[in-house]
Amino acid sequence: MNLQFVFMQLFNGLILGSLYVLLALGLSIIFGMLGIINFAHGAFFMLGAYAAYTITSYIIPDYWLALISVPILMAAFGSLCEIVLFRRLYDLPPLYIMLLTFGLMLVLQDAARLVFGSMGVPFGTPKSLTGMVNLGFMYYPSYRLFLIAVTSCAAFAVWLFLSKTKLGCIIRAGTDNPKMLEALGINISRTMTLVVGLGTGLAGLAGVLAAPIQNVRPLMGMDLLVDCFVVVVIGGMGSLGGSVVGGLIVGQIIAIGVMVWPPMANTLIYLFMAAFLLVRPRGLFGRESFHE
Amino acid sequence: MPRSQFLTLVTFFGLALVFPLVAPYEALATEILIFALLAMSYDLVLGYGGMLSFGHAAFFGIGAYTTGILLIRVFPSVPVALTGAICVSGLAAAFVGYASIRRHGIYFTMVTLAFAQMFYFIAFKWTGLTGGDDGLQGVPRPNIGPIDIHPEINLYYFILALVIVSMFIIVRVVNSPLGATLQALRENRNRAMSVGYNVDRFKLVAFVISGCFAGLAGGLYALLLNMVPLGSLHWTTSGEVVVMNITGGMATLFGPVVGAVSIILLRDIISNYTDAWSLFMGLIFMMAVFGFRDGIVGFFQNKIMPTAAKFLGQVFPKKH
Repeated sequence: MNLQFVFMQLFNGLILGSLYVLLALGLSIIFGMLGIINFAHGAFFMLGAYAAYTITSYIIPDYWLALISVPILMAAFGSLCEIVLFRRLYDLPPLYIMLLTFGLMLVLQDAARLVFGSMGVPFGTPKSLTGMVNLGFMYYPSYRLFLIAVTSCAAFAVWLFLSKTKLGCIIRAGTDNPKMLEALGINISRTMTLVVGLGTGLAGLAGVLAAPIQNVRPLMGMDLLVDCFVVVVIGGMGSLGGSVVGGLIVGQIIAIGVMVWPPMANTLIYLFMAAFLLVRPRGLFGRESFHE
Repeated sequence: MPRSQFLTLVTFFGLALVFPLVAPYEALATEILIFALLAMSYDLVLGYGGMLSFGHAAFFGIGAYTTGILLIRVFPSVPVALTGAICVSGLAAAFVGYASIRRHGIYFTMVTLAFAQMFYFIAFKWTGLTGGDDGLQGVPRPNIGPIDIHPEINLYYFILALVIVSMFIIVRVVNSPLGATLQALRENRNRAMSVGYNVDRFKLVAFVISGCFAGLAGGLYALLLNMVPLGSLHWTTSGEVVVMNITGGMATLFGPVVGAVSIILLRDIISNYTDAWSLFMGLIFMMAVFGFRDGIVGFFQNKIMPTAAKFLGQVFPKKH
């Protein structure tokens, strides 16, 4: 095993980790506010990739347009789901809204299969980002470096939004105590819509970014989703820092697993999670008895 | 066992005896029986224990693979294979349960799901043992003593006997002090703890019992199909079991059975017309959550029965 290959794998782990970070951030924000696991999150990711495909191959063949419009479209779609579906179930135990998102996942996936076929669609690397970059110690595809850069910016923007703006402050307060927020006269239902929109937008962004490097197919989100659950369990639910660190850790575990023992690469993260839970049940940055 | 539950069990048995005669085909009737058992085993966890596990497919799948592997590789005996399935699934449930029950609510769901996914990947990658993506092919159906279970109808009655015995045991468990404690934990965890119950241990016991029956259901599924599909381990199977519980009615004992019958029949009917079963399944899921939260059995108990009782009361007023 030469050093070049090791670096290559570590960078690929970083790519995978970036996607995990984006998805886990969305999951975590939605979880913090609604107290549910959004099973439809993987389907939102998949829809984002298909939306990018539709835009670039049928409307305007411009990746940059897709990169900007798809997250906005998906955010709108997520908000719509919140208004039409989720909102009706807030008074019930969280079990029901969780099952609703599971049903939504099945519907969206099968609808995508019926429309686009189960085999997946081709999606090339955008023209302006083809080629390799010389990093000094190795060559690496420039699109992949671009992906890492965009993810870092997005994660930073989310952090900035949640910690420095007034709206972000309201969202964080809502995560801790929605009832108190309502008592203070803040329109909590609009905040909920916004939060689901934000999370879905992030999933959509992950979808556009993943489209050129993954096969765009109906089930692409489903397998990634369970890995993201591992990410948030390791990072600690509802913690943004946990999502970032957890995502990077899980990405690296898979990359290293591929080097060491390829068939077990995916299994390793579950074993790691099991071991981790025994030592620190609440996750890296999770708070004790938060939303239990 | 309360009289009403005993009567329901007897009614179920009576209906099940003649069911293959009216079912579209015998294998479908058998499949319904198997999923009825699986759904009822899950009711112990969700309905009575209040634990939304998304990993029940693991125990079902592990039971199926254990049965298949034992029959193919080790010893062609159905009782041995099924006993093995129950034991191995129970062990797996003990392992998953031990690691996940210390977390509650959402965390519990995610951890069970992640463990189930782990088993899925192991079965997917360990091609030499499990056949990987193609599933485990060629599971035989050897005779059990003098009984030949090759004809579908014989297999049906053999499985019916096992399912009835299992259901009887599950009903006994639910009515035992353990079942009562579980319900107490579900309703008010803190109070149960302050009374002095070791909450986690009770939950674990229920989880393991449930895993054993799920494993038995899996073993029977391997016998029915003569193979084990990899999909039996996938987490969508767990979702299907959850929806059987919700549509039938949680914590009503026979609700999940009704749910399993409805879902499997519906799948059979819909798949005659379209392959978009998943889409319909998702819609059923969403409708169940929106409009049918008590499930079919709950609907009868809470809406139809009181109305009927009221109506009967008006027609035949009680004499004072």
